[in-house]
Amino acid sequence: MKVVLKNIGKKYEGREEFTLKDINLEVEDQEFCVILGPSGCGKTTMLRMIAGLNSITEGDLLFNDKRMNKVAPKDRDIAMVFQSYALYPHMTVYENMAFSLTMRKERKSLIDERVQEAAKVLQMEENLYVKPSDISGGQRQRVALGRAMVRNPKVFLMDEPLSNLDAKLREHMRVELIRLHKQLGTTTIYVTHDQTEAMTMASKIVLMDDGIIQQVGKPDDLYMRPKNLFVAAFIGSPSMNIIKGKIEQGRFVSDNRLMQITPTETHKEGLKAYEGKAVSAGIRPERFESGGEYGDTFNVNVEVVEMLGKEKILYGKLDDGHELIISTPGHYKYEGGERYSFGYELEAIHYFDQETGERIN
Amino acid sequence: MRKYNRYLVDEIGNTYERKNQYLLEIALLQEEMEKVGGQERKALKEKVQELLKNKGKHPYHQAYKAYEEEKSLFWKGLKKESKAYESTLEKDLSRNVRIFKVQDFKARKKEIFFKNYIELGYEATYYYEEAKLEQKYYPEIISTYTEYQKHLKEAKEQRQKLSAEEEAQAKERFKEYKQEKKEELKNSIESLKKKRKEKLISDKALKNGKKELKHRYKKALTLKALEAPKKANQELIQNLKHELKEKPKQLKKTLNADIADKRRKIPIEVEKTKPVIAYSTIFLPGLGQLLNKQFVKAGLFLLASFFIYFAAIPYALGYGNYQGDGISGLITLAEGAPRVYTSMMFLIEGILAIFLVLIAIGFLGISLKDIKGVEEKSIRGIRPKNWFETLENIKQEGFPYVVSFPALFVIIFIVVVPVITTLMLSFTNMDPQHQSKFSWIGIDNYRTLILGEGLAGSVFWQILGWTLIWTFVATTFAILIGFLLALITNHERILGKKIFRTIYLLPWAVPAFITILFFSIMFSPNGALTDIISNVFGERIIVKHSTNLTRLTLIGLQGWLGSAYIFLLTTGVLQAIPSDLYEAAEIDGATIWQKTRRITMPIVLFQTAPLLITQYTFNFNNFSIIYLFHGGGPFNPTRYGNLAGGTDILVSYIYKLTMVNQYQAISAAIILFVSLGVMFFAYLGFRNSKAFKEERL
Amino acid sequence: MDRPNNGHRKTFLEKMGEKFPFFQRKNKSKLYLSDRQPLTLQGKIGLVIAHLVLIIWSVIIIWPLYQMVVSAFNGLQDGYLVLNRNFEFSLKHFEYLFNETLYLAWVRNTIFISVSTALLTLLFVSFTGYAYSRYRFKGRKASLMAILLIQTIPVFAGITAFFTMHSILSSVLPYFTRQMMLILIYSGGAIAANTFILKGYIDSISTELDDAAKIDGCSNMQIYRLIIMPVAKPMLMIIGLWSFIGPFMDFLMPRVLLTSPRSYTLAAGLFTLVNDFRTMNQPAFAAGGLLTAIPIVLLFVSLQGQLVSGLSKGSVKG
Repeated sequence: MKVVLKNIGKKYEGREEFTLKDINLEVEDQEFCVILGPSGCGKTTMLRMIAGLNSITEGDLLFNDKRMNKVAPKDRDIAMVFQSYALYPHMTVYENMAFSLTMRKERKSLIDERVQEAAKVLQMEENLYVKPSDISGGQRQRVALGRAMVRNPKVFLMDEPLSNLDAKLREHMRVELIRLHKQLGTTTIYVTHDQTEAMTMASKIVLMDDGIIQQVGKPDDLYMRPKNLFVAAFIGSPSMNIIKGKIEQGRFVSDNRLMQITPTETHKEGLKAYEGKAVSAGIRPERFESGGEYGDTFNVNVEVVEMLGKEKILYGKLDDGHELIISTPGHYKYEGGERYSFGYELEAIHYFDQETGERIN
Repeated sequence: MRKYNRYLVDEIGNTYERKNQYLLEIALLQEEMEKVGGQERKALKEKVQELLKNKGKHPYHQAYKAYEEEKSLFWKGLKKESKAYESTLEKDLSRNVRIFKVQDFKARKKEIFFKNYIELGYEATYYYEEAKLEQKYYPEIISTYTEYQKHLKEAKEQRQKLSAEEEAQAKERFKEYKQEKKEELKNSIESLKKKRKEKLISDKALKNGKKELKHRYKKALTLKALEAPKKANQELIQNLKHELKEKPKQLKKTLNADIADKRRKIPIEVEKTKPVIAYSTIFLPGLGQLLNKQFVKAGLFLLASFFIYFAAIPYALGYGNYQGDGISGLITLAEGAPRVYTSMMFLIEGILAIFLVLIAIGFLGISLKDIKGVEEKSIRGIRPKNWFETLENIKQEGFPYVVSFPALFVIIFIVVVPVITTLMLSFTNMDPQHQSKFSWIGIDNYRTLILGEGLAGSVFWQILGWTLIWTFVATTFAILIGFLLALITNHERILGKKIFRTIYLLPWAVPAFITILFFSIMFSPNGALTDIISNVFGERIIVKHSTNLTRLTLIGLQGWLGSAYIFLLTTGVLQAIPSDLYEAAEIDGATIWQKTRRITMPIVLFQTAPLLITQYTFNFNNFSIIYLFHGGGPFNPTRYGNLAGGTDILVSYIYKLTMVNQYQAISAAIILFVSLGVMFFAYLGFRNSKAFKEERL
Repeated sequence: MDRPNNGHRKTFLEKMGEKFPFFQRKNKSKLYLSDRQPLTLQGKIGLVIAHLVLIIWSVIIIWPLYQMVVSAFNGLQDGYLVLNRNFEFSLKHFEYLFNETLYLAWVRNTIFISVSTALLTLLFVSFTGYAYSRYRFKGRKASLMAILLIQTIPVFAGITAFFTMHSILSSVLPYFTRQMMLILIYSGGAIAANTFILKGYIDSISTELDDAAKIDGCSNMQIYRLIIMPVAKPMLMIIGLWSFIGPFMDFLMPRVLLTSPRSYTLAAGLFTLVNDFRTMNQPAFAAGGLLTAIPIVLLFVSLQGQLVSGLSKGSVKG
């Protein structure tokens, strides 16, 4: 099912400002859409509005072009998975999964069919008749998914469903969720603050901050072409190096004059209008050229080297103390306390207008 | 002069253009006026006044009047047409479908009619939009409804066709299946039990395993039972009936919600600029709602009016009272009334009357606020809520009120009214001479008490003194014993912890009145303990004859009784203290005493402090122990007068004054003292409690 | 890694022992299996003293209770308790209790009052606790403060009024007995404090459960009935239990409100066996007290953990 948010706004009672304002978003059928953002950015509010748990102050919420603003949550054909799983502790796993259908007074044979089916997919057949308190965290997570699946919903809503699991299990469940999505093909809207989850699972990421959608796109888009400084800084780990500077005679010169970059021909086009203006350049840690000798280079004093196996992360400082993070392949030799020279991959540099934070090239 | 805004506003601050050209003209002129001064302003003002005066002649107004006439004609016509339409419908349609179809027909007509007037005013716009929505939903509602009706019919037909033979077979199969499953269940449980015996699984696992097996068994049977055609059919019919009821309802709700949404977005234009209805109908809740065209709400508020004028006010005026005379009874207190009428009755009925009047005033206030709100909003441009919206609101926001109402009611009549009665009573002279008729005497009772005068007041200070000593010593004693015992019992090397714990629980578990009475018997002149004490000291000592000894015994007895509770409480806390705290202290070289003083005591005290304080409150009011042990005695008329004994504390004194000696008024004054004291203690208790702090009050 | 506890090590040793018998013997005698350090002499003396203290207090507790049991069965007494060594087992005091007194009526009354009080309290409190925990409504703050205040007012503050109020009520509702008034007083008086306790408990239940239920199709009432109440059952049980026990323990209110011996509760009824000369029979009181105490003691002993945790969780109530 296609989910469309049109000019959605939310104002909580007793508050002056809108928590969300003018949210426009289209989630295509069968898409796995991840809403990503720091805590307090309004992403959960948005999800709860789609679920019908929060009222919508203005705008339209459309499911397949049908207006859903005032439809009760149970009639929206959605299912939601919560952070704490929200399993009913006094019911068995079976009863938990069957609850929504029982509330609809569905036929018991049909309920059983659906529950067994979901249990099979999730490999929970053995544990159907125990209470949630008697199973492990990962299994509870699966029950929560099963409960959602049994309803045969048109949209899955997930509110940080993996954040209560330990790192290893989380990785495992991530893969499982993707597989499940492939299998069921249900439109999924997934809220998280964890960018790894977003990058690995999403077919579309919606990055939000401060009640505003900052960028919508494929994981690649957000990583390769961040729309503004916020997206640039938020996506990627370790995060992008942002260097403040100016455009002087078509070249980017950092404020401390220690880094000077000649933009590529394609970048120059966009930068023309910014001659003499404040511009920030963003460079991903892995986009420095080791041992730069030709063209634009700079020197950095490496303080700490983190060896991660396939890569090395260098934490260094420029001569004036500006910090930089550089990532190099693991087999390169770098030592802490030494001074090295680096170059840039010029086509991988992002330029941002400092005033608006918007991307230039 | 009336002031109109250029724009209409909705609840979330969106602005809308006016459609009422006449008002718009005034608003524009008035806007102009704000900007200029002097002569020009005056001219504009005159212009506005001209407009206001000649409202009828304004072209917009005339157009609107024409619209209104057309509209009323249309409504009348629509009524006829829809009737005609209804008669063309097939006869075998169900009632609901008929209604839906007529609604749909009406909506179509409405759309055509109001479309022409959209530009004229928001009312037409609203009707138009509403009609459009109705047309969108009704066909769907009808088709859903008929579809489920069809399914239901089919299912019912199927029921007729079910063969008895098949049914019997299915039953037979079920029987076999059940037998089989039962056997299976039994075997599984047996094997589980065996495993338990071999210590392969824990007790809890056995219990859970059993439960799981039983769940599984039950589920399997229910499902198997449904294989029988009759039962399956029955269930199908049930399900379809449910759907038939729910699905159209849900669609209708969506329609209503969408209409409500439109109501929020289509403003309303009114000519008034002040909430006139609200104030003019203030004394008759319901009328204003009626004028605002909120009919169901009006009905409800009319009920409130009914309550005000046929219950609250008559009762307050003395009609329908049991004996009393409404509020005025509070002043007269049955003075001059027939002999069987008591002042007490007048007092309580007076208080009840006041409560009823307060509720009535509350209703008036709510009604006024409601009407005023609706009017003020519509002046700004916000359309009043229809019944659907109001109902949804009540369902959401009214829920807590509705469900807590019974509790509130009981609290008012069981706690608040009696307490107020007592408070009032303390300003009267209800004593043995004035039982049925008493009168107001102001603060005389309090004066008597404070100055220690009179029969009842003279011992007040003495009793208060002993009450305080009793409260402090007895409670502290019990706490110390309980705490000490808990500390010792919870030491890791103590053997037989479980036995000790069970024994120490006993004084708390045996109802206190039994143990107290039993002790009282044993301490009586011929009692067992009296004998023992006499043997020990070599002379005959009768505790109950000496005030001091009785007091001492009471304190000891309370130590016996109260320590159990403290013991349990402390044990609970002690067991929850993580052992690594002690281990860390041990590594730092702390001795047992240091560990107790630095770790155990602070934690236990911190966690139990509020409960310990309630223990003091409890003993302050511990009527049972004082009264049951020796009736507050021994009596010592030279020191304590005829009304109290040597060990009486305030509560037991109150009891004696009220129930035995009939000094209710002065007792009420003491109750006030005591209650204030108790409340103070309680305040100390919950001031720091978690529940109080965490509540974002 | 956890320290291996005794149980684990033993099974391991047992296994070893099965294979190598010599191993078993050797280990049993030499290994110091306890986690704790060995005791010093000083510690040993202290430990003995501690046990002594505990035993003495146990005797202090048990002796009077034991006397009660003995005197209930001692046939060598008439109207008064005689506590000496002469003992003859007899059930005559029980016979007296059942035949000559209204004991059975008192039991019936008490159970009627207790059960009704518990049910009514639960009904009131479950709703208010749920409403205060889950809803932010107008007047919530103020009424919570009022509740805090009200729960501190002692019940006896209204005793003078209860009488008259009962006559007014019974004039409107002829079937409204004094016992019902008592039930109303008990349950009404318990609302405030228990609302607070239950609210605290429900607060600790995640609101995501409510959300999930809403999505699954529950109305407000269904969330209350199908989700919150079952989950809050432990606390409801405690509240119910306390309200149930209350009338067994209370002496003051029945004494004030109930006037005919036939309508007495156990507390008020048994008191007449001790203080009224016409009906005085102390051994019968001991017998009645014993019969009353036994079920309650059993209840307390079996549920002590829950009762205590309920107390400390509530932390507002005494």
